[in-house]
Amino acid sequence: MIFLDSAATTLQKPASVRQAVRLAMEHAASPGRGGYPAAARAAELVFRCRETAARLFDVPGPEQVVLTFNATHGLNIAIRSLAVPGSRCVISGYEHNAVTRTLAALPVRVDVARGQLFQPDELLEDFAQLLPGADFAVCTHVSNVFGYILPLKEIAELCRRNSVALVVDASQSAGCLPVSLTELGADYVAMPGHKGLYGPQGTGLLLCSPQAKPAPLLTGGTGSESLLQTMPQFLPDRLEAGTHNVPGAAGLTAGMEFVLRTGPEHILRHEQALCRGLAEDLRGVPGLRVMASSDPALQSGVLSLVPEGMDPEALGEALGQQGICVRSGYHCAPLAHATAGTLETGTVRLSFSAFNRASEAARAASVLRRSLKKGRTEGNGE
Amino acid sequence: MLSLVYYLIVCKSLTYAQRTASVLERSGIGARILRTPRQVSENGCSYSVKIAQRSLPAALTALLRAGLTPTRVFITGSDGSYREAEL
Repeated sequence: MIFLDSAATTLQKPASVRQAVRLAMEHAASPGRGGYPAAARAAELVFRCRETAARLFDVPGPEQVVLTFNATHGLNIAIRSLAVPGSRCVISGYEHNAVTRTLAALPVRVDVARGQLFQPDELLEDFAQLLPGADFAVCTHVSNVFGYILPLKEIAELCRRNSVALVVDASQSAGCLPVSLTELGADYVAMPGHKGLYGPQGTGLLLCSPQAKPAPLLTGGTGSESLLQTMPQFLPDRLEAGTHNVPGAAGLTAGMEFVLRTGPEHILRHEQALCRGLAEDLRGVPGLRVMASSDPALQSGVLSLVPEGMDPEALGEALGQQGICVRSGYHCAPLAHATAGTLETGTVRLSFSAFNRASEAARAASVLRRSLKKGRTEGNGE
Repeated sequence: MLSLVYYLIVCKSLTYAQRTASVLERSGIGARILRTPRQVSENGCSYSVKIAQRSLPAALTALLRAGLTPTRVFITGSDGSYREAEL
């Protein structure tokens, strides 16, 4: 099997992640629920997760690192904390449904900064026009469909200049691109634990700036201020009702330690090289649109393809049957397809992780060429 | 080994207690996290950091340097009672 769907979840994890999860399940109870050794061990594991994340993402204090179920959970907290009836929000044209569906459920006006694919100057112009007078902005760092690295630093600067609160969706960048809560000056940065941070599924992080005033999405027990019937005002307790996913946090710590050891910039270079190699390999294939940037610095290790005359779903299925795991369709981001002009068809997406090799990319290209040819022949009734 | 008379730095959450203990330990001050005794907890469950009596001045300096300001500190009495210390 060749796994090329790491933009959804990294299936191959460092051995240390599996080991950390197992140890936590065997020896750790619940943090904040007792003073006995197994509870203290759980507390230590969760605290280490916060401290590691604070180090990796330049967060002033570990209490500003909130553990979530995934990026969607964090984005919901952030967006719902900022959205008041009648407020206006600016988003990029590359947002995921985690952002757009959440906003659609709220009484807010949404303006979209579009800009063509891999044209950061156009996107910045749109943001510059739309941000004055807005209440908050939400922007993905990297498009989950096209691997397009958005000019986040510049967008954050525009937000600061216009006093607009910023929520960053770092789902595709955490672990391979520099993400600094402090430097961005963002109010919130949300990310999953199970993609580029190599943690288990069901984990995520929400980084909250010191100026953020988050509203709880869930209410319940926190192991603190138990006599009060309101959620604590302080982080992380305010946003962490209920028992923690301690094995998940332990695994996520091990995943982040792997990223820190390997170096996010090294992981990015590796994934970009694989992506670029695959794009070059496929560029001459007749009837296949390769959505690659001419400037490699603008694209992470995610590549979308549009097969002409063949349903992307059928191509994805054919690849899957031959052991190449990819994702096809809309990737939960119809807005990104609308912006990039692929809404009619969707795409086939191949995405890399630190564990992929060049030989796997070459094999995927070869199977893809063959599947395309076969699919078209069958489609033509030959 | 901590002496029988000790200070309790009451923290609003487990995470703050962990951060407090971590700062103190990095400064070479022995610190232990424990659940706050009911007599001194204001709103129910919380966590405290226990330090030796002699460590308080150094602990306060280390915490202030790290941007952590303890709001409530208690000293134990010989009868097991707690008295709030004036900072």
